[in-house]
Amino acid sequence: MRRTIVFFFTQFLLWGLVSQVNHELTPWGIALFMGGLFVGFSALHFERREALIGAFAAGFLHDVGTPLPFGTHAVVFATAVIFIQHVRHRLNRHEGLITVMVILIANLGLFLAVSAVAVRLLPDAGGLTSRVFSDLIASQLTLALVAPWFLALQAKALEIAGVAAPAEPGPRSYP
Amino acid sequence: MPHRSFHASRPFLILGLLLAGWLLVPTLVKRVLGISFFELQAPVSVAASHVRDLQDFWSLRTRTRHDLIAAGRDLARLNASYEVTLQQTETLRREVARLEALLRIPTLPGYRSEPARVARRDFNAWWQRLTIRKGRNYGITVGSPVIFSGGVVGKVAEVHAYTAVVDLISSPTLRIAATLEGDSRPLSFQGGNNPAFGPARGIVDYVPTDASASEVMPRRIVTSGLGGVFPAGLFIGEITRLETSTDGLFKTGEVRLDSRLAELTEVTVLVPERAD
Repeated sequence: MRRTIVFFFTQFLLWGLVSQVNHELTPWGIALFMGGLFVGFSALHFERREALIGAFAAGFLHDVGTPLPFGTHAVVFATAVIFIQHVRHRLNRHEGLITVMVILIANLGLFLAVSAVAVRLLPDAGGLTSRVFSDLIASQLTLALVAPWFLALQAKALEIAGVAAPAEPGPRSYP
Repeated sequence: MPHRSFHASRPFLILGLLLAGWLLVPTLVKRVLGISFFELQAPVSVAASHVRDLQDFWSLRTRTRHDLIAAGRDLARLNASYEVTLQQTETLRREVARLEALLRIPTLPGYRSEPARVARRDFNAWWQRLTIRKGRNYGITVGSPVIFSGGVVGKVAEVHAYTAVVDLISSPTLRIAATLEGDSRPLSFQGGNNPAFGPARGIVDYVPTDASASEVMPRRIVTSGLGGVFPAGLFIGEITRLETSTDGLFKTGEVRLDSRLAELTEVTVLVPERAD
């Protein structure tokens, strides 16, 4: 329970930072989406139950104040956690580069999934390809830059609270 | 083998159960969760906007005394012109009231102006929203029109304890009844696709076929007053392109919105005054 609370605190901090950056970016017509960073660490290191609680909490943080039905982000984030946990035993998840790659791929999937839901709001979504593409590129680049810092922050926060994620063996090999 | 395939598909079974469970969660529970998470976030946005205000204050403190005297002089001139406008408005208001009584026509709805600071801007490809630092504590109601010095900002979409969320006119989720300036025929305005690195845009439908507009000679559109949400005559934007719709009965086009919409720090909410 303590681990879930500490983890949620780090997610809340990230949400605050991303929302402030997006606030400052509005005159440039660019918005960052960091969904992958909210679910990456927990999906790779936590048990399923804890990771899903984290995904739902992060999803609810994203859902409020948007015109999307409440729970949309939560469900999409939970789906990402299930997919990552399904393949994590094949990955060396303690390798920083692998973790960042997983988060980048997860972010891409989440961005496209949320876009697929949000596209129903638009009268003519065809003219929006360039905006969606530029938002995605900006998000992925920023994510690649900040992911190592944020993952280290999450690991350190859990360590300070005395609830660090259990160290597990590397990738399992199949015959 | 079947045991292994079940083991492999178990996470997706759990996911399916979670999704089904979420769909069955009562709306009341979802609503309480939504409000709880919003009120959890609100202090962060509000505190950040107060910090920005403080930054602005200290940056203004660095101005020289000469700048302050010049600003005070400009402000005095503006105040003098506004005083004259206020007197004219009061005269017109009395005239309208006299004519309403004479012709026995119902009084137009009144609004109370509630200025509010912007706590957070959330603009992305799909929606454009603002969080303002006033909510139920100032009597703000859902659907209230929001304006600024450049015209219409949008409409209040959600009201919380001490914040409110505003849907911008550039958001595709907002539709307004409008007219061309100097014309009484109604047309429909909707927020459109907002390009990256460029000003927000909107779309107009049902424009009369005799109307024309271009980048060189744009046409201004204003609120029509129909629908009862926005008062008539508020500036929305300029039509920069018009073309005949597929059915040939009307024209559709593109609207250029005020670029200051992306940098708003203060807006005014027009709270409808109740008849009692």
